[in-house]
Amino acid sequence: MGNKKTIIYKEPERSIVIKFSMVACLLVMSIIVKCQVETLTIICNSNGAPATMKFTELRSVMKGERQRWNSGAKVVIALMKTSTTVGKNTAQVIYNMSGDALLKYWLGQTYQGNAHAPKFFNTKSELEEYVAENPGAIGVIDPPPANNEVKIVSVDGKTQFIL
Amino acid sequence: MKQIFYLFAIVICIFFYSSVNAQNTQIRGFSAASVTYLDKKISFGFSEQDILITSDLTDRLSFLGETVFRYDDHSTGTKFGVEVERVIMKYNIKGNHNLLFGKHHTPINYWNDTYHHGKLFYPTIDRPLLFISNIIPLHTTGIALQGHDLGKLKFGYDLMVGNGLGSTEIEDNDNNKSLTIAAHIKPADNLRIGASYYYDIISKGASVHSHQDDQERHEDRVVDWRVVQNLFSGSVAYFGPKFEILAEGTLAVNRTDTTCYKKTLGYYLYAGYKVTDKITPYFRIDDVHFQNGEIFYIKDNKSSFITGINYQINYLANLKLEYQYLHSEITGDRNKISAQIAIGF
Repeated sequence: MGNKKTIIYKEPERSIVIKFSMVACLLVMSIIVKCQVETLTIICNSNGAPATMKFTELRSVMKGERQRWNSGAKVVIALMKTSTTVGKNTAQVIYNMSGDALLKYWLGQTYQGNAHAPKFFNTKSELEEYVAENPGAIGVIDPPPANNEVKIVSVDGKTQFIL
Repeated sequence: MKQIFYLFAIVICIFFYSSVNAQNTQIRGFSAASVTYLDKKISFGFSEQDILITSDLTDRLSFLGETVFRYDDHSTGTKFGVEVERVIMKYNIKGNHNLLFGKHHTPINYWNDTYHHGKLFYPTIDRPLLFISNIIPLHTTGIALQGHDLGKLKFGYDLMVGNGLGSTEIEDNDNNKSLTIAAHIKPADNLRIGASYYYDIISKGASVHSHQDDQERHEDRVVDWRVVQNLFSGSVAYFGPKFEILAEGTLAVNRTDTTCYKKTLGYYLYAGYKVTDKITPYFRIDDVHFQNGEIFYIKDNKSSFITGINYQINYLANLKLEYQYLHSEITGDRNKISAQIAIGF
């Protein structure tokens, strides 16, 4: 009987510790994840975008209002899909739109024949690779780029948007 | 034999797929279906299916083609007609300056150039009366110089020379060319202010396209007089995060030897307020007034009031519910309730 009592007493204590640990892990993970999504970096191909831009210029470029860079290279826009956190943040911060509104904006631009819709990507590495390979390409990613072949564009003197 | 056929088909598919990818070709479509209560009768219908193809041919040359399949009383068989709405070859000259060649939406007004057959983009179910009263030429086949987003005010322009009314898609019926001069500015985010001028001489005996209603049922009619046409248009469009306002007007001045100058004024005002990202209640007021003695247009003074709600399902689909009161000199007063689902794919 005594043994049984000890077992009954210890079981809930363990589960509380496990539950507490899981909650703590989740909290730490969510903080880490949140830290990771709180920046946006503008990257570009070495041929095309200037090294520094004003935010108003950037927004204008990203909305398809500029066809060519000063070098003559055609402006090509690369974005993360709006289903990704970076894509949503890009829509919000750069375009001041929801993800859905951004997609409709580009559908409208395509229909009017004003501009070609951006290339949308699932992963950061795909987007970086595309920007590195296409002259005139400009894109938005989350943490600083891993690909050495792309340049970082400084916007209003900053290399990252802190959200 | 069958295996050779399948192999051939696969090779063709691979070739087509790769060539499509190489050219960055995109195919999009638009359609809409509606239910309407009018004259104590409920009707189901779908108006048209719009196929849009865009393609980058070279670094500077691109293509846009738009073809519409729609109900057509005059066609035989399935009663569906095919109409090529736009075929545009666009060459980027320098920066934001382009040369366009082909069949275009005449860049006279905001609605005509921005939405046209893309019902998904319409803020209301149907077009304003201004665009279904044959006041403006909706399409022009010709050549255009176009610029956009120039300078701080984001100035844009269109200079277009076309065959003009009475011509076919492949040939001008006379020596007169239509001229369109349009300019706009975008002084603030989501705001566009535009003005345009259109000039054409329509020869006696020319056959012109008439739109019978918003479904764009067409009918050709012969003009019995030489008409000198001048159209002056203006538009203000603001589609912000909360408020939406679109106002446009066109003053048409038609001159014939017998009637001299006759003026027609058409305008509309649309306003909407986004209660949420998905729900936008709205209203629209339309008016079209023809001067007595007008002989080029079919004189039918009309006015309309519309109120409705637009529910955005996602960026590829929306649902609209709308009430319209329409007063027409010819058909009298009408009350219409409509629901429409418009999609893009």
